This record gives sequence, C-alpha cells and structure tokens, in this order.
Amino acid sequence: MQQYDLQGQPYGTRNAILNTEARTVEAEVLSRRCVIMRLADFSYDKYQKALRQSAGAVVIILPKNMSAMPQDIVQQFMELEPEMLAMETIVPVYFAEEDDELLSIYTQTLTSSSSQSSLSAAEVLLHTATANGFQMVTSGAQSKAISDWAITSLEGRLTGVGGEDLPTIVVVAHYDTFGVAPWLSYGADSNGSGVSMLLELARLFSKLYTYKRTHAAYNLLFFVSGGGKFNYQGTKRWLEDNLDHTDSSLLQDNVAFVLCLDTLGNGDSLYLHVSKPPKEGTPQYSLLKELETVVASQHPEVKFSMVHKKINLADDMLAWEHERFGIRRLPAFTLSHLPSHRSAQRSSIMDVRSVSPSSRHGAGEPPAGPHVDVSKLSRNAKVVAEALARVIYNLTEKGASGDLQIFTEQMQVQEEHLSAVVDWLTAQPRAAQLVDKDSSVVSTLEYHLSRYLKDVKRHYVKADKRDPEFVFYDQLKQTMNAYRVKPAIFDLLLALCIAAYLGMMYLAIQNFGLLYSVVRRITQPKAKVH
Amino acid sequence: MTLFHFGNCFALAYFPYFITYKCSGLSEYNAFWRCVQAGATYLFVQLCKVKKLSLSRFFPGIELCLFVSQEFMKSTVDLADLLGLHLVMSRNAGKGEYKIMVAAMGWATAELVMSRFLPLWVGARGIEFDWKYIQMSFDSNISLVHYIAMAAVVWMFTRYDLPKTFRLPVTVLLALCVYKAFLIEWCFVVRLSWDFLLLSAICGFMIYCLLGLDSTDPPVLVRNHVSVRKTIRICV
Repeated sequence: MQQYDLQGQPYGTRNAILNTEARTVEAEVLSRRCVIMRLADFSYDKYQKALRQSAGAVVIILPKNMSAMPQDIVQQFMELEPEMLAMETIVPVYFAEEDDELLSIYTQTLTSSSSQSSLSAAEVLLHTATANGFQMVTSGAQSKAISDWAITSLEGRLTGVGGEDLPTIVVVAHYDTFGVAPWLSYGADSNGSGVSMLLELARLFSKLYTYKRTHAAYNLLFFVSGGGKFNYQGTKRWLEDNLDHTDSSLLQDNVAFVLCLDTLGNGDSLYLHVSKPPKEGTPQYSLLKELETVVASQHPEVKFSMVHKKINLADDMLAWEHERFGIRRLPAFTLSHLPSHRSAQRSSIMDVRSVSPSSRHGAGEPPAGPHVDVSKLSRNAKVVAEALARVIYNLTEKGASGDLQIFTEQMQVQEEHLSAVVDWLTAQPRAAQLVDKDSSVVSTLEYHLSRYLKDVKRHYVKADKRDPEFVFYDQLKQTMNAYRVKPAIFDLLLALCIAAYLGMMYLAIQNFGLLYSVVRRITQPKAKVH
Repeated sequence: MTLFHFGNCFALAYFPYFITYKCSGLSEYNAFWRCVQAGATYLFVQLCKVKKLSLSRFFPGIELCLFVSQEFMKSTVDLADLLGLHLVMSRNAGKGEYKIMVAAMGWATAELVMSRFLPLWVGARGIEFDWKYIQMSFDSNISLVHYIAMAAVVWMFTRYDLPKTFRLPVTVLLALCVYKAFLIEWCFVVRLSWDFLLLSAICGFMIYCLLGLDSTDPPVLVRNHVSVRKTIRICV
C-alpha cells in the first residue's frame, strides 16, 4: 500500500518492514502475525478484525486473472481502496500477484491455521510439532520520505494563422495513475484513454494545420500533466508559472476554453462537467452545442449531457481537472464517460487494459472491472475531434449540416494508433511516485508530442520545502521472503529422538560382542563352505 | 533453524564418533595423536585428488565409450583414498585391529570436520528449516561405518597370508568402496534424500561380508574390547 501526505494529511501505512510468522484470517491468534488473505475472501470486516487484533502485517493476494473474479468482489474492492488508504494504519500492507508457490504457501498456512480449534489436545500437540510454518521477512529498509521529487508535465502547441492575439484552445489530460498499490496501478481507462485521445487529436490537427487552406485562426495548446491524481499538482503549478511569473503566455491573453479529457475509454455516455454553465455567445457555449449536434446526428447511441457542479474549495480534493482552471478564472470543462467524480474506478488498481469476458456470467453481461474498449475510445475521439473542428472552423455558422464528417478516409481517427498508445501506457505503472523526470514514459511522450507539435517543453513541479503540498514515501515495492520454519516444540522432539538414537547406538557398541555372535551364527554356514 | 537445531545436528553427527572412540578402546592406547596424523594424511590425499582431477580435465579425449562418463573418472580418483588408508596403516605399528580403527577414526573425523561442519554451522543456524541437515548428520554416521569397513578391507588386501579364495571377493569389495558414490548416483537421480537407506545397506553388506570372510581373524573388536573391560574392572 502506498504512503503519501497530501496537503498535510497522511494517507496509507506508515511502516514497510516486517519479520513475522504467517497466518490466515481463520486463525485465532493474529497479533504480531502476518495475515495472508486472498482477494476472493477479502472483506473489510476481516481486514479490520486483523488490524484490531494488532496483527503484524497484512498481505493480500491478487489473482493473476482479474477478469475471472465476480463483479461484486471487484466493485467492493474498488470502493474499499480509498478507505484503506484513508484509515490510519501502522502495520505494513502488501499486495502480491498470485502464482503457484504463493498459492501453496497460502494453502499450507490455511491448513495449519484453521485446524487449531477443532482437534483433541494430543492431535493439536502433534500437529503443532510437525506443522510447516512460514516466516515472512522483507528485505528492504523502513520507508522514508523522498526528497526533491519532481513531477513532470509536458506542453506543446500548434500556432494559428492570422497574426497576434488569436484565441487559444487548451486540451489537457493527466498521464499519471493511482491505486492502493502504486506498482500495480496501470490506469488504463483513467487516464490512459485521455492521453491517447490527446495524442490522436494532436496528430489530426497538426495534419490540418500543415496545409495553408486548413490552417485555422486558433492556437491549440496541448498539455499532458503529471500529478493529476494528487489534486492536479502539475496543472496547478503550470498555471501559476504561466499566469503569475511570465510576462506573456498564451494562457494570459485570450483563452477560448480549456477541454480536459478524463476517462473516455469506455461507456456509452458522455458527460461534460462544468463548474459554471456557459453563457450564450461564448466559445464554451458553441463547443457545448457542437458536441450535442455531433452526438445527435452522427452517434445517436451515445447519451450526452452536461453536469454542473460548483467548485467547492472546502473539499480536500478537487473534483475534476477543469476546476483548477476555473479557480484561475479560465473557462474550462472536463469530458468523461463517468457521471460523477467520486466513481471508484478513477483511482483503482483494477483499472486494467482489458478483461476477457467471464464465462460464468454468460454472453449478455458486461465483463467485470474497468477497462478500455478501443472501439468506444475511437468513437469518443471522433466525437471530440469533429466538435472541435466545427468550433475552430465555425462550421455551423457557415451552414454545415450536423452530418458532415470531416475526419474520414485519410484524416480518419486511427483505431490502431489509439490501441497502440493505450497498450504502451498500460504496460507500465505510471503512479506519480514512480515517474521521475528521467522516466521512459515522460521521454516517449515528449518524443511523440514533438512529432506533431511545436515548442514542446517540460515543466517540473517540486514540493515546497517548508509547507509541502505533497510528500511521497519510498519502499513501494519489496521482495518478501517466506522461510519454512518449524515450531520450537519440533526442536525438542527432535532432540529427544536424537538422544534416544545415541543411547541405542551406545548400547549397541557396548554390547558389540553380543551383536557379533548373533551375526556369526547366521553367517556360520557361509564360513563353513569356505 | 536456530542454534538449538544446530546443536541437534551437531550431536547427531559427532556423538557416534565420540562413542566409538571411547568404546573401541582406542583411548587406552593413547591413539589420539595417531588419529590426528591420519586426519592430516586425509587432508593431503584430498589435495592430491583435487590436483589430479584438474589435471584429468586437460585430457578430454579419454571418453572411451558412453558408460565411461566424467563421474566414473572422478570416482576413479578416489582410489587415492585407499592408498592413503594403506599409508596410514603401514605407518602405525601394532595389531591389525588397532591399525584399522586408528586409520578409520582419523580419516572419518577429518572428513567430518572438513566437509560437514561448515555447512551445518552456516545452514542449520539460519531461519529456514530443511531436512537436509539432519540427513547430512546421518550421512556422517554412515560414512564412519563405511570408512571402518574400507580400512578393514584394505588391511585384508595387503595381508600376505590371505587365502587365495578370498582375493577376488576382497577386490570386489574394494571396488565397491571406491565407486560407492558413483553407483548411488547411477541408481538414483536424487542425491541426498532419504534414499541413503541404500547407502547403509551397502555398508552393512560390506561389513557382513567382511565378518563372514574374516575367519582368520576372529572378532578383533570384540576381543580387544573385552580385554579392555577386564583391565578396567581390575583397575577399578
């Protein structure tokens, strides 16, 4: 489980090392033991029971094939993740992916733990003397705060044609992921889908902007932000730098609107989250209208609506990324297929690239767990691209019908491209604590952006020294060794046996003569023959 | 898995040697230093074996046929063991059984100290429990018996008054001694697990034959032992 402080509030466990004996939840004595549970048997009560009995540590085994789990367990786990993080825990909690050896360790621990209560005293004694116990030991050090961690964000632009003072449209997506265990959070839908859509939009519009005839009079600014799951730290600092500390920036002059992309890889509905409903005649309003038009005429199966939520500054965490821009008085919205920011799948380790449909549930039911459906992602990308194009080129005023599709044939939204980007993104965990400025994720994104955009720049965020907004701790991934141990009674038993054996041997050697005469009598016939 | 476990294995490995030393009457003959000498000869022979092995690697073309594998060659080098035992016994004046016991005790103790002590110290004291340490200690017991048998067979081989009919069986037993490890590996794929019952069976068989064939020398150990006890009783 990860450990971090956000705005002074600690989350996660405070401890990383353990050296305790393993038990499962069914055992009676749990204190100072490492409790091992499987995800299938996991429930919040059992977890709390283990912690109440002052267990030494908790290890939760995740199945290799998440999609084989029933949906209610996946859902329950997703909802428990933020609660587990928020609860004050001083024992280390680890998540491990299951394999054969771990499973055998688990079953052996289970048999020895659960049989303690149901047998007679002699059997219990024999059992404890011969049982195989396991001692779990981690090999790392205690966790400590990482100092000077830099969160990286990237920006790039496409300049419009037609002189100075052009309106700017900003497209934003955060690339980092979040989950109860950072090394297991691959964040396919949230927000791998957003980043891949942003890259696809960058590609399409840079193609349009290459030709003079299609070069529009809008500046397009693309921003891939880091630290998004930690209250949008990357965006916050970028805004501060651009609005407060530089003299001229595209963000200061004339921003038409900011469109944030967050979790668009699935679902049959699209929600435009706003903090203030757009007024008529503004560019935001025209985007809203264009989105409605495109959805209604080209993709009628999609349900589109606007969700209005006021920014609540008293909350610990901001709801969506557009609220950061809203605080700085820039018109912004977030497009997502999730109706609410509180949806558990935005910050879950269950968010994976794909799940195979479970055979148990039959053909009609959707597969368990959040994942990315590339066909839906590409459909959403097309919707966004068409709507943006209609705003940029002012197509509705010029009389273009709702059915007009710009992005077809050579300009088509490429599903393979989207799929490849999502595959690459989900191949590694991208938690904010794991992506530093030399990481391959950042450099590859930089390279990709620089293929389509100009002026690609990096932007770093470091926590303030005296009053840090975020503090990350290390020791997020450890090797835990399980040693097979025998209980102390076994040693005593063995000592008794060895003493008996040595006694017998002593007697045998003392009375060697007796032994010899017996053997001699048996071999006498042989000797006589010779 | 703890110091206690190490103590268990240590007791299992060393006490039989101690018991054998005390009860076979060697202590009456002040044989301690002779045993140490035998141990030193063991070390020397081991060094020579290592040298010979490394030399034999320079001649890769000795593969005569499929059966003659590397392991066989390595076991052949164990002939040096026999030579070493013979050397020790020839240097010790005294009765036959005295020579055998001194040579065997010294040899086996040296092997125990060199090859078993360090693994036990390092392994048995760790957290992880493994049956192999108990097995190692048992194996040292068996090798004690094995070396006694080997020394006796070597001694018999070198006697000039050995009847002709005994020559062949004694030679066969000698060969069995040397190639014991190789044969075990041939029969089983797994090395040191509970199949050392086979080892003990082979050793037992050797002693059996030994006792059966040894009609010229009546129970040497018994006679000596009985005489020592009488001496003790008289003294006490």
